[in-house]
Amino acid sequence: MVSVAITRVRQGHAPFAGLVWTLVRTDFKTRYHGTIGGFVWALLKPLTMFLVLMAVFSYVFANDPQYKLDLIIGLFLYEFFQESTKAGLLSIRAKGYLLTKARFPSWIVVVTSASNAVITLALFSLVLVTFLIATGRAPTLGSVALYAVYQVLFFAMVAGFSLAASVLFMRYRDLNQVWEVVTHAGFFVAPIIYPLGILPERIHAYLYAWPPTPIILFSRSVLIDGRAPSPLAHVLLVAEALAILGAGALIYRARSPRVAEEL
Amino acid sequence: MRSSVIEAAGVSKSFTIPSSRRETVREHALDFFRPRAQERLRVLESVSFELRQGESLGLMGRNGSGKSTLLKIVSGIYPADSGRVDVHAAVTPILELGVGWNPDLDAIDNIELLGTVMGMTLKQLRAATSEILEFAELEKFAHLELRHYSSGMAARLAYAVAFRAVRDVLILDEVFAVGDAGFKERCQQRYRDLHRAGHAMLLVSHEPRTIAAFCDRALLLEDGEIVLAGSAETVAHRYLELLTDGPALSARSSLR
Repeated sequence: MVSVAITRVRQGHAPFAGLVWTLVRTDFKTRYHGTIGGFVWALLKPLTMFLVLMAVFSYVFANDPQYKLDLIIGLFLYEFFQESTKAGLLSIRAKGYLLTKARFPSWIVVVTSASNAVITLALFSLVLVTFLIATGRAPTLGSVALYAVYQVLFFAMVAGFSLAASVLFMRYRDLNQVWEVVTHAGFFVAPIIYPLGILPERIHAYLYAWPPTPIILFSRSVLIDGRAPSPLAHVLLVAEALAILGAGALIYRARSPRVAEEL
Repeated sequence: MRSSVIEAAGVSKSFTIPSSRRETVREHALDFFRPRAQERLRVLESVSFELRQGESLGLMGRNGSGKSTLLKIVSGIYPADSGRVDVHAAVTPILELGVGWNPDLDAIDNIELLGTVMGMTLKQLRAATSEILEFAELEKFAHLELRHYSSGMAARLAYAVAFRAVRDVLILDEVFAVGDAGFKERCQQRYRDLHRAGHAMLLVSHEPRTIAAFCDRALLLEDGEIVLAGSAETVAHRYLELLTDGPALSARSSLR
């Protein structure tokens, strides 16, 4: 009796670039009805949050001249984290109708689910850098490059989480509700509306373990303060991103072969 | 002798019955110390067969006999629990195509979505879009969102894409049961053309005349086991007997 299950399939080189582009394009079209107006409408949420929080907290932190810039950077980066991880968690369930049609690398569906959030973040970053240049606080090219690296690492963390969460969601059907609670609580863990310095230094290390925290702080540091964090801080950030991506990929690899059965 | 494109040996598969599963974080947390036996439903038991280059192989069996699961395993969509499936050619499965579109997108976007999943390039798809819409007789509804399509229209569109995306081997589940007489005739003609061009086919149908007319050989599945393998006519005839309360078949007696 043969006891090992093997399915060896020679499928040739499928044109997955076309699939990636189609998923990105159709996601954009579905979310924003294919219009720039729809896209701008989606930006209203973080902008409204910014206006409300700024109105309240700029009084509390009136002695910090950079508070408004720090706040908007923190808000948009956290919005990216919240939106992209939510889309990633739901991605396999949402695109399940494709997984039962043909054999293709389903991780493409998971990773491309963050495309709308990536487009929003890219646009925000462009506007932010333009604003800094226009107001005489132009960041150096090195600072902008480091900022871009941080966003790539942020995306790696999101991809790692999404890979794991998308397949776990098929087994734990209330994982999206759990994650919503976590991200709401996490909003106050990350130093978005308050400066990290107001908290005791002994708990800073714990706050850095929450992925948005180092990304937000490092991004502010290079763009607003013009200071790059230490090499050790960068090593720790890369290690954190790789650990999340690696763990997510392992969980995904273990669970994804049976995911079509759970749809 | 023609080379084999699909070889399945001792393929078995079972599923956990949903009612015996814990499906939420809450259930896992609250029932952590309460053991719950998981009931398994055996769907396939040691199934072996071979599909050769250019051959059309039929697969018959009553509802729940394991046909669709076998097609999904061969297509690489489900893994087998045990056994071995070797696929030596690129496969195009045409399974469950009537359902599962993006209802917020129009026909053209959905064609690109399904076509790229099935391995076509965007260039190929854009060149073939008119032909696909014409095959499905949906040219007038190309820019209509799929939410406004009837189930029959959606199924015709799906089969039109799939028949255009065919690679080496075609795996079909009840394809000739879709659409009106004209659409069925076009599907049958496309099937004959592909067969003539040397494509291997694995075709599931409940219709004995379809199996007898379109297949060289056929298999009969009953309770997850192949109970008969032979000419398409013989298997089609046996399937009819099975439906009309003919003598129960057992794997051993029929294959002897």
